[in-house]
Amino acid sequence: MPSPILKVKDLQTQFLTHDGIVKAVDGVSFDLYPGESLGIVGESGSGKSITALSILRLVPDPGRVVSGKVLFHDKDLLQISDEEIREIRGRDIAMIFQDPQSSLNPVLRTGFQVDEAMLAHGKSKAEARSRTIELLNKVRIPAAASRYKDFPHQLSGGMRQRAMIAMGLANAPAILIADEPTTALDVTVQAQILELLTDLNRELGTAIVMITHNMGVVAGLCSRVIVMYAGQIVEQGPVDQIFENPQHPYTWSLLKSIPRVDALRHERLRSIEGIAPDLLHPPSGCRFHPRCPFRVEKCFTDEPLLQEVAPGQVAACWVTMERARKEMGADELVDIRPGAASGVHPGEII
Amino acid sequence: MAATAAAVITRPIAPEQASLWSDAWRRLRRNRLALAGVIYLTFVLIIALVAIVWTPYSTFRVGVGIPYSGPSSQHWFGVDGLGRDTLSRLMAGAQVSLIVGVGTQVLVLAIGVPIGLAAGYFRGLFDQVVSFLINLFYGIPDLLVALILVFLLGPSLTNIIIAIAVTRWMDMARLVRGQTLSLREREFVEAARAAGAKPAKILVGHILPNALGPIIIQATFGIPAAILFEAFLSFLGLGVPPPTPTWGGMAAEGIVTIRISPAMVIAPSIALSLTLMAFNFLGDGLRDALDPRGRR
Repeated sequence: MPSPILKVKDLQTQFLTHDGIVKAVDGVSFDLYPGESLGIVGESGSGKSITALSILRLVPDPGRVVSGKVLFHDKDLLQISDEEIREIRGRDIAMIFQDPQSSLNPVLRTGFQVDEAMLAHGKSKAEARSRTIELLNKVRIPAAASRYKDFPHQLSGGMRQRAMIAMGLANAPAILIADEPTTALDVTVQAQILELLTDLNRELGTAIVMITHNMGVVAGLCSRVIVMYAGQIVEQGPVDQIFENPQHPYTWSLLKSIPRVDALRHERLRSIEGIAPDLLHPPSGCRFHPRCPFRVEKCFTDEPLLQEVAPGQVAACWVTMERARKEMGADELVDIRPGAASGVHPGEII
Repeated sequence: MAATAAAVITRPIAPEQASLWSDAWRRLRRNRLALAGVIYLTFVLIIALVAIVWTPYSTFRVGVGIPYSGPSSQHWFGVDGLGRDTLSRLMAGAQVSLIVGVGTQVLVLAIGVPIGLAAGYFRGLFDQVVSFLINLFYGIPDLLVALILVFLLGPSLTNIIIAIAVTRWMDMARLVRGQTLSLREREFVEAARAAGAKPAKILVGHILPNALGPIIIQATFGIPAAILFEAFLSFLGLGVPPPTPTWGGMAAEGIVTIRISPAMVIAPSIALSLTLMAFNFLGDGLRDALDPRGRR
C-alpha cells in the first residue's frame, strides 16, 4: 500500500458560542491514500463538513481548529502561513460545495470563473481559457465553447455543478473534497454527477473525499468510508465490508434506514430513535448511548475508543454488532427504542 | 450589397444572451420618468459643453443689456443687476453644478468604496475605527464641517468639492460595508477562498461586482444632493467665488431685487430644480432596473 497523501491526526475544531464551547470535531484522525475515494457520512451536525473545512483552514467564525495535525506531503497545513495555505487551496486540494446555485458568482460569466481558479495559481489568461473549454468538455457540458460565456443563471442545476467540478479540477489537484455535491440536485442528475466523479477519479487519479449523508452515494462512489457521529469517528473501513457487516450500532441503524427495492413487504423501514445530541453538552460515555438499542452499563460512563473489529475495519463500541447479533438477537429485532435489545435503561443503573 | 449578405449569414442563430447590464438598461428605458431624466440631463450636459466655447454673450461682461430688465428677444432670461446676460450665465452655471455633482461623487466613491469593502470584509479593529468615524461624521452637522473646511482651504471649486465629499463619504462607506458584510458570507465567496483566491481578488473580483448596483444608485442620488449643497453654499456666499456664475450664487444675487426682476431668481431656481428632479428620477429608475426582484 502506498503512503497516504493526507494524514489527519486528532483534529479538534471548536466553536466558541455565548452558551459555551461546541466541539464540532472532536479528535478525528484518518488517512487518505493517493487516488482513492473516501466517503465521510453522518447526520447533519455530525461534524463532517467542518472536518473538511478544517483541512483547508476555511472554518467560519467563531470556529477554531484548536489542536491536531493535517499533514499533506508531511507538511502540517495547520501550521503553515496564510500565503502557503492559499497556494495549496485550489491547486493541491480543491473543494466543491453543496449548492452550485450559490457557489457560483451570479454576476460573472461561468467560464471566466473557471479561468480564475487557474489565474489564482499563476497560469496565463490564454492558457486558462483554452483549458477551461477542455475542462467544460471533460465534465460533459454540451457546447462547452458557447457555454463559456453564459452566466450561472443560464445554466441548469446539473450543469452548474459540472462547472463547479470543472473549477475544482482546474489545477489538477491531488485531492478533491466534495461537500454533499449532489444534495441540491434531482435524482437523475445526482446519478450523472456521481458517474462523472467516479470516471474522473479513475481517469485522473484524483483522490476524492466525498462528504454526504447518503449511504447510497457512498456505495456508488467510494472504496472506503468513515462514519461520523457527534463530532467523532465511530466506524471506518472498506465500503463493501461495512455495508456487509457494520460493527457500530449507529452504522447498522443508518444502513437499516435506507429503503431497499428488494425488501420484503412486511419489513419496516427503521428510523433511528431520538435526535442527534446537543454538542454543547455531549452525552457522557459513548455519545450514541442515548439512542442505542444495544447499550450496556459501560456505555453510559466510559468512552469507547476505535479498535480493530475486522481487517482494515475499526469501530468505537463496547458491544459491537457481532455481540449484539449473538446475544441480543439484533437481526430479528423489532423494537429499536434505546436500550430495547439489551434491556438497560438509565433508571436501572443508577 | 455583398457586405449586407455576409452580415446576415454571420449573425448568430441563437439570440444574444442578455447580460445583467443590458437587461437593466432595457428596464430603465421602459421607465418614462427615468428616460425623461436621462434626456434632460443629456441636454444639460450638452449646454454645459457648448458653454465652454460659446455663450450668447460673454459670461462676465457687464452692461450688455439694461440692468434688471426682464426677458426679451435679445436676452431670453433677462439681464442681471450688473447688466450681464442671465441665459449666458445660466449656461456657464450648468458647468459648475455638473462638475460639483459628479466630482463630489467621484471623490466619495474613491473614499467610501475601499473603506467600506475593507471594513466589511476584514472586520476587527479597522471596522470598529471606520464605524466610529462614520457615526462621528453623522453626528456633526454637515454644514458646519463644510463651512470650516471652506474657511480653512479657501473658497474655490476644488475645495468646495472636497468639502462636500468630506460630509458625504459616510453614506457610501456605510452602504458598501453593509453590502460586503452580507456578501462575504455567501457561498461563492467561500468557494473562491477554497480555490485559493487572494483577499484583494475576492474583494474586487467577487464582492464589488455584486455590490455595484446599490453603489451606482447611491452615487446617482448623491449627485443632486451635492449640487443642492453647493447651491446652498453659494446662496450663503460661501460657494465658488464670483465672478464665476453658479446657480445658487445667481439666485442669491437676485433675491434682493426679486420684486423688480423676478427672472433673476426664477431662471436659476428652475434650472436647479429640474436638474435635481432629473437625477432623482434617474436614481429611482436605476433602483427599479437594478433590483433583481423587480424583473419584468
